[in-house]
Amino acid sequence: MIVAENLTRVYAMGRVEVQALRGVSLEVGKGEFVGIMGASGSGKSTLLHILGLLDRPTSGRVTIDGTDVLALSDHRRTLFRLNRLGYVFQDYALIGELTALENVYLTSLVRGDPEEEYLRKSTAILERVGLAGRTNHRQSELSGGEQQRVAIARALVNNPSILLADEPCANLDSQASKSILDLFARLNEDLDQTIVMVSHEEWHKEYFCRVVTLRDGLIGDTEECRREGPPPGRTA
Amino acid sequence: MFTGLRVSAFLAWKSIERGSKGTLALTIMIIALIFVNLIFLPSIISGVVRAFDDQSIDFDFGNLVIEPREGDQYIDDAANLQRKVDRIPGITGTSPRIAAGVTYFYRGRNAASTLYGIKPADERAVTKIADRMVEGEFLSNGDTDAIIMGTTLAGREGEEAGGLPSLRGVVVGSPVEVVYPNGEARTYRVKGIYETQSISIDASAFVTAREMNGVLGLHDQASIILVKTDVNGREAEYKTELLSYGIQEDIWTYQEKSGGFVNQAIQSFDIITAISALVSLIIAVVVVFIVIFINTVNRRRQIGILKAIGISQGVIVNSYILQVLFITAVGTLAGIALTAGLTIYLTAYPLAFPGGPVSPDVEASAVIQSVASLFAVSVAAGYIPAWRVANEDILTAIRG
Repeated sequence: MIVAENLTRVYAMGRVEVQALRGVSLEVGKGEFVGIMGASGSGKSTLLHILGLLDRPTSGRVTIDGTDVLALSDHRRTLFRLNRLGYVFQDYALIGELTALENVYLTSLVRGDPEEEYLRKSTAILERVGLAGRTNHRQSELSGGEQQRVAIARALVNNPSILLADEPCANLDSQASKSILDLFARLNEDLDQTIVMVSHEEWHKEYFCRVVTLRDGLIGDTEECRREGPPPGRTA
Repeated sequence: MFTGLRVSAFLAWKSIERGSKGTLALTIMIIALIFVNLIFLPSIISGVVRAFDDQSIDFDFGNLVIEPREGDQYIDDAANLQRKVDRIPGITGTSPRIAAGVTYFYRGRNAASTLYGIKPADERAVTKIADRMVEGEFLSNGDTDAIIMGTTLAGREGEEAGGLPSLRGVVVGSPVEVVYPNGEARTYRVKGIYETQSISIDASAFVTAREMNGVLGLHDQASIILVKTDVNGREAEYKTELLSYGIQEDIWTYQEKSGGFVNQAIQSFDIITAISALVSLIIAVVVVFIVIFINTVNRRRQIGILKAIGISQGVIVNSYILQVLFITAVGTLAGIALTAGLTIYLTAYPLAFPGGPVSPDVEASAVIQSVASLFAVSVAAGYIPAWRVANEDILTAIRG
């Protein structure tokens, strides 16, 4: 569970101070698929960076599964990201020198998992995201949609309690976008995976359980359980 | 710790395996050449020093030289002293020499240099002049009308010797007249010509001590006694040993006899070597720094991503250190191979130096020192840019 309280984030751009977040409070429960939406510059990516421990707020408090994550040392934050969070970037952020399989099992390697186990887990997760036949391909040999699936597989391989996705469909066509969102919905449905996803596409709303809309660094609207029943395209 | 190193090694190897092969090969080649430069010049200088030492021991002085006490022209009772020294453990040979400044005459030409009177059998036990006969034979104990001389003194027909004494064309069998300091003149048949490549010895000549004693009216006297020891490099110990046996004459090590020149030369060479090593190491620092700097700057975003997905800064920095270690290790191995090739070639075809032929003398300590310093500067030069980028804020690094 994520509890963010009164988060502010002020950037200094030269002599000008930019207030990206002005006091955002948010709770995300276990198994929720929350969409954070808003116009460009509304602070949605900043919020996700803070929730993903990639950035620190100027003030406020963030608790994830009962841990005050802002009080952690840099080393502990790194371990927290490794073991508890999965992060999907807008532009895939794969390591170009590694194959799809290597990209996925890299974090398991860091955790010290035995080779047999991380190979099994990584192969299974790549199969789950539909890339069974592409495991030994490198980034340059994969389409945008496939790269994003590898990034999702990498984010999921260590069974994170929360999956954070920063506009994962921004660089994909509508067909690939839909397939990624379907995948997220299935993960949420089948595995009760908590997902927080940033998006600015209106049609993505139908996939989310809850939509939080940011405006000028503040929460504007919250639409509870927009999605009813199974995700689009699936029958109950 | 082990897991972190395993991940660092994994990232380093993938980067090497799938990165630019051209850049890798070029960097390794530069490290190899830097290694050669670090080793080669000192090894040549060591070779020069060794050649000079060998020349001094084998042809000029032996390991130790016994000279008359201050104020005396000759060592008296030389045979007795020789026997005394011969009995000391570790002494393998002694050769008394009588030295006289003489003038040689041959076919109207003349030259002045030192003529030594020796006991041929004793001389063979100390110096290697007998092994360097290029024409004719070495002296025998009973020779009284024979002389051997160096190639410089013998000279060649129509060839100037560049300021050194030369009779310009003496060959084996030539009659050479020698005028001694006491005015006595003798004509000797040239029995042999030697070439040691020691400047002073090749410009000198030898007759038997029996002959020279007769001419100079000496009996059981010597100008110097050369002493050969069982091992080289322990001359100072043997000098102390000889003194402890109550020898009253002056005793010199070969280093002391030739000290001024060699020490000055070594000091100058040491300065040149130090400058050369410093320049090489600076080049190594710059090359490794640039390679890793460009590498890390180009992978700034990748480093940010690695940190974002939970890989610690230490693991990332270590992956670059391991790449540097790999490049340096392969570069050093290539450098060792190049150095070995050069050494083999120059041992087969030595460089011609005034003191004699010089081959590189690669000392294990120099190799260890070069490898250690190359690794140290490479790791330092690789660490700084890697740490700098890996220390960046995650989002700044990801944004590139």
